[in-house]
Parts: sequence; structure tokens; C-alpha cells
Amino acid sequence: MLHYRTEGYNGYAVKYSPFYDSRIACVASANFGLVGNGRLYILSLTAAGIVAEKWFDTQDSLYDVAFSELHENQLAVASGDGSIKLFDTTLTELPVASWQEHTREVFSVNWNLVDKSTFCSASWDGSVKIWSPQSQRSLQTLPTTSCTYSALFSPHTPHLLSAVSSDSTLRLFDLRAPPPQPATLVPISPTAPAEVLTHDWNKYRPDVLATAGVDKVIRTWDLRNPARPVLELVGHEYAVRRLAWSPHWGDVLASASYDMTVRVWSDGTGSSLAAPGVGAAAVGNGRMLGVMDRHTEFCAGVDWCLFGGEGWAASTGWDESVWVWDVGGIMGSR
Amino acid sequence: MSASARLSQITNQLTPSSLSARDKLTEKHPDDVVITCALRTALTKGGRGGFKDTPAQDLLAGVLRGLIERSGIDPSVVEDIHVGTVLAPGGGATEFRAASLVAGFPVETAVYSLNRQCSSGLQACINIANAIKAGMIDVGVGAGVESMSTQYGPQAVTEFSELLDSHEQAKNCKVSMGLLSEQMAKDRKVPRAAQDAFAASSFQKAEAAQAAGLFDDEIYPLEVNFEDPKSGEITRITVAKDDGIRPGMTAESLGKIRPAFAKDGSIHAGNASQISDGAAAVLMMRRSTAEKLGQPIIGKYVAAAIAGVEPLLMGIGPWAAIPKVFGKTGITKDDVDIFEINEAFASQCLWCLGELGLDPKKVNPKGGAIAFGHPLGCTGARQVSTLLNELRRTGGRIGVTSMCIGTGMGAAAVWVAE
Repeated sequence: MLHYRTEGYNGYAVKYSPFYDSRIACVASANFGLVGNGRLYILSLTAAGIVAEKWFDTQDSLYDVAFSELHENQLAVASGDGSIKLFDTTLTELPVASWQEHTREVFSVNWNLVDKSTFCSASWDGSVKIWSPQSQRSLQTLPTTSCTYSALFSPHTPHLLSAVSSDSTLRLFDLRAPPPQPATLVPISPTAPAEVLTHDWNKYRPDVLATAGVDKVIRTWDLRNPARPVLELVGHEYAVRRLAWSPHWGDVLASASYDMTVRVWSDGTGSSLAAPGVGAAAVGNGRMLGVMDRHTEFCAGVDWCLFGGEGWAASTGWDESVWVWDVGGIMGSR
Repeated sequence: MSASARLSQITNQLTPSSLSARDKLTEKHPDDVVITCALRTALTKGGRGGFKDTPAQDLLAGVLRGLIERSGIDPSVVEDIHVGTVLAPGGGATEFRAASLVAGFPVETAVYSLNRQCSSGLQACINIANAIKAGMIDVGVGAGVESMSTQYGPQAVTEFSELLDSHEQAKNCKVSMGLLSEQMAKDRKVPRAAQDAFAASSFQKAEAAQAAGLFDDEIYPLEVNFEDPKSGEITRITVAKDDGIRPGMTAESLGKIRPAFAKDGSIHAGNASQISDGAAAVLMMRRSTAEKLGQPIIGKYVAAAIAGVEPLLMGIGPWAAIPKVFGKTGITKDDVDIFEINEAFASQCLWCLGELGLDPKKVNPKGGAIAFGHPLGCTGARQVSTLLNELRRTGGRIGVTSMCIGTGMGAAAVWVAE
């Protein structure tokens, strides 16, 4: 495991670069993101461990970061002051662009992996916005009517956008269909509504995504039948803050939680778990594969490395730490 | 965008859900272990009742056939059948596997027999639930069976070795149930009058329930051979009703029966569980599987606990096990709508109710083993059908089944009716 200390700043999100296998971005905030500055770290994985190439300071807390899919040196960050800023790693200090439209904290930014020219943001102001680095104004505003913690473009379809929010609802928007009403509303836990803090699309199955949040339960969904979750993965002891499906294994996802752990799960669809009988390899056989317990405060961010050896991950948390670790090492054999 | 607003936002994310333990228990999740069918044979008097000439294996084959018939399950999706039984030589392993084939299960369905004394039937259900939870199986049957008519007797227990006999506590494990319960009733000061009143109420409740047809839903009638004790003539009879329920029992009429284990004792045939024959079976599966198979969900299994107590005080088992399962589920006795606590003896059951402070109205509302019998290995599985039927009828949700276990143990499980 490799470690980097974001001294004085509490980690909120970590992302691997889609262009360089040695580059990681981390956003962190002073005073646990409650009040004070934010900082974007550009970290490099070297033979000597993790080295900060540079960092960018911001006036307010930073909560999320997304690498541009078009430009290898640019990344967008989500800020507590409602702004979204685009930084260029070849420059210093100032962002190359800044957008101020959200009226409350921006909690998530996500780049469109298919179209590559746009990215989206989700805010506590109850809206999701779509942006282009070329445009000074947002391209589109999608109302979610409640505090929205995470919005994502589908990695399979450029016009499909999803958002989860404090009203315990997953919203799916078809961006080709005006006006901007959600095409589908999925109640996540109708019998006991709880804020949904994070979600992620499966990288292999276009209809599958996972949600998690305050009720500690990770749910996987097949959008062809959103009436009920496919699976519920139980184990986290506090709210789950971030989910990330593996880019290498279609059945594996990682979760970062306020319980100070990052956990790795299988949803039971992997061929290694297939067994004869009813529902084998389809339903209900999800299980936890391992626990990464090196963080000593709330875990807020986790991401998978896209390159090289399968199963490297990076995580960050309020313990001012970025850990880079081999998931195989905590999963045992696979 | 003040710091306090952010703090309260994050604090809300950490606040545990405001749901009560009871509400949490009744939540539905796709990985719940649910029951889609629970039924039993009639329970009949040992040596004299309708099943006196029916071996345990036939009772099991009958109840398993009933389970397939009533649930409409495709038997080939059932991966394992666990059967609790106490008296069968060799644990019943061979004949139970054979009985499953007679019942209509294919060779691919496995069978496992087990013995945890009087909780064997419950343990079978717990094992199936745990196997489903662990992902070993998706669909299974927890069952219990006992033919005390044909298999009750000294041969059911192996002679103790010198080593075991030389150990005081170990030696206590073979003291007969009657003797130790008599002693316990004396030590714990459970007077005969209270025992007789409790037993009479069990009979009265069972009599009323039977008259109202409350057992009809859970009983699967079996056609069996019956030898007339006088003429020796063998006829086919259909057994569809418990035949141990004696009508018109009162504390006064029970008060006239002579004690069975000691001259100055308090325990007698009328305030102890009856020797009986019977079988019960519970079809269990993951909720997501039940929905996929279109099986009607009648309840779910929540949790179970097992506890050990002094061998000579085996009757206090439920008192040890019930709080333990409450600890696992976070509920209290007030959250429970019905307790099915096995009436091995009125004395021990009464003592447990008193110590746990249970509302007598919530305990065994249709009577118990004193009234309709305690076929040892069957009882734990029998309680599930009795409980879930009564919860559904009365609109209750949460139920507990529990029993004391010979050699000094107690078991308890929490169920939710849906």
C-alpha cells in the first residue's frame, strides 16, 4: 500500500487519470469541508511512492473531481460555494474556467465517457447541470427538487443521465427528450426512505447500477425491472459515501463509508460464483470480498485504476490520507 | 452555505435511522429468508392415537408430499431438506432420504437428519435459513418428525461410560426429565395448583381452537394404517385432527390426578406434555427467489439463539434463550405479538413466563404440548405453522418460538408474519 498525507485537508474524492497510469487527483477540504479552503492535489505514483506534482488552492471546500475525457491535463472540481472550476495541470494557481450557477454546494462532477465533450454536476440546490468547457453557461439544467449528492452520465449511452438525492430517489433523465423531466423515478427504499449519497453504473452491463447512502445498504438495480433492487449488500456500519464498480470485473464494486472502511463486494454474477440451482449467478448471492481498514476517519472517496494490473484502487478520507492499494491483497484469491 | 448548515447536513447522514427495532424487523429485503408454506400432520396420542402404527418415515413422507402439494413448488428447485428427529436409530438418516424420494423429491434434493433433542425441528429450520443466508442453497425445507409410539424407549439413549458417570455435571445429563422437573418445580416453588391451572388453560385454548377449526389450515391429513387394539383388524383411516386434546379439562379435574414421579410431587400426566406422533415441514427460500418462483410469502425468519443452562434445570432454557435472541434483534417482549413456547411441563413453562414477565395472553394462544402433544423432533417445526397461522389470523406481525432442551439448553427464534 502507498500512502500520501493531505496535511491539513480532509479528503473528499479521489480519481485516477484516464490518460496517465501514474496520475491521481484528490480533492480535500480544510476543517472537514465545513468551513475554509479546498485543495486539488495532482499526485504522481513514482518508484519513491506518491509525490504531489502540484496542488491548486480554492476559496471554498472541494467535494468532487472529474478528469476531462478530452484533454489529458484538465479536470473539473465541485466546490462548496456553488462553483465549478476547470484546472489545467500545466498551469499554476488559477483555474482556466469557472462557472457559478448552482446556489448551494456542488457535491459531484462527472465527465461524459461516451460523448466526452460534456460533464455534469449535482448540487444541494436540487438541480443537476450539464456543462461544456467551451460554453460559459450551463447547457441544461435538470430539476431534481431535492438535495442531490451524485449525478452521472451512463458510461454506455451519452444521452442517459442519472442522479440520486436526499429524497431517497434515483432519477433517470433521457437528455434527448425535452422538457427536462426525469424519464424514470426509482424509489430506493420506499418503506424506510433514507438519503441516497452515491451511485455508480456498472461498466459491463448497461442496465445495472448500484446505489447507497444513509441506510448503509448497497443496492444493485437492473433498470429493466426497477420495481425492486436485484440485491442488497449489508455490512457497512455507517452511511456509504461512495460506490465504484470495477473497470476490470463486471461483478465487483468498492464502497467507501463513514464507518472508516472501504469494502469490496461481488454481486454474485461473476462466473467464479456460478452454482447450479435456482437463481444461481443471478440473484441474491452477493457477498463481501474484503475490507480495507487503513483509514482512521470517515472514508469519502474510492476509485479504481483503469490501467495495468487489475484491481488497484485509491481511497481518501477525513484522516488526511490517500491510500493506493492492491484490492487483490484484501480480497484473497480470486 | 454556512458551516452550520453543512454540519447539520452531514450530521443527518450519520444519524441512525429513526425506525424502531420492530419496524426494522418487518422491513422487506430481497435477501430475507422467507417461508412460503408451513404445515404439519395432526399430532396424535402415543400408543393409542391415529398414528400409533405409522412409522416416522411415513409421517415424514406424508408431510413432505403435503408441502409440495400445498405450496405448488417444483420439487426440483429444493436443494436440501433438514429433518430434526430425536429417537430414530442412526438419526433417521437412511429412511428420511428414502422418504423424500417417496414424497416426490428428485434424487438431486439432498436430505440431512439432525438431533438437538426437543429443538430438533427448530434447529432444522434454523439450519436451512443459515444455509440460504450463507448462499449454500436457495430453497430448502426445515422439517421435524417423531414417532414416539414406535421409537420411544430406553434404546434411544446410549449407556453412559464410566468417564461420564464420574463427572458430576455430566452425569446430570441423564437424569430423567420427569425427576429433574419435579425437583425444579420444588426448588423454584411452582405450586401444583398453578401448574394445573396453566395446563387446564392449555387444554381449554386448544379445545376452543380445534372447535373453531383454527388448526385446519396447518394440518395436512394423512391416510394411514390403523390396527384396532381389540380386534387386531387393520383399517385405513384418515387422520386430520389432533386427538390428544381432551375436552372439558379444568384445574379441578386435573387436580385429582396422582403425581407421576414422586408421592408428594406436583407433576402428572395432565400437566406435562403428551407423548405423541407427528411431523411438520417448513418451506424456506430467499425472498428474491420466492418472488421469482411466484411463491406466496407467509412469513420470514429473522434470527435464532441457542443457550446452555444447568442440566438439572433444563426447563429454564427458554428463559436463557429468549433474551439472547432479543439481544440479536433489538426487540423487547412488548414488540412480540405471539410467543409459542413449548409446554414440556407446565412447571417449567410457567416459571419461564413469570421470570420473563410475559403476558400470558400472548403465550400459546391455541394451547400447547400439554393439550395436543410434543412429538420431540417435530415440535420446533410444528410451532412455525401454528405461529404464522395465528399471527395472520389475528393481524399480528412478530412471533417467537422457543423451547427447553433436555441436557440443559434452550432455543429461541424470531419470525415475522407477512
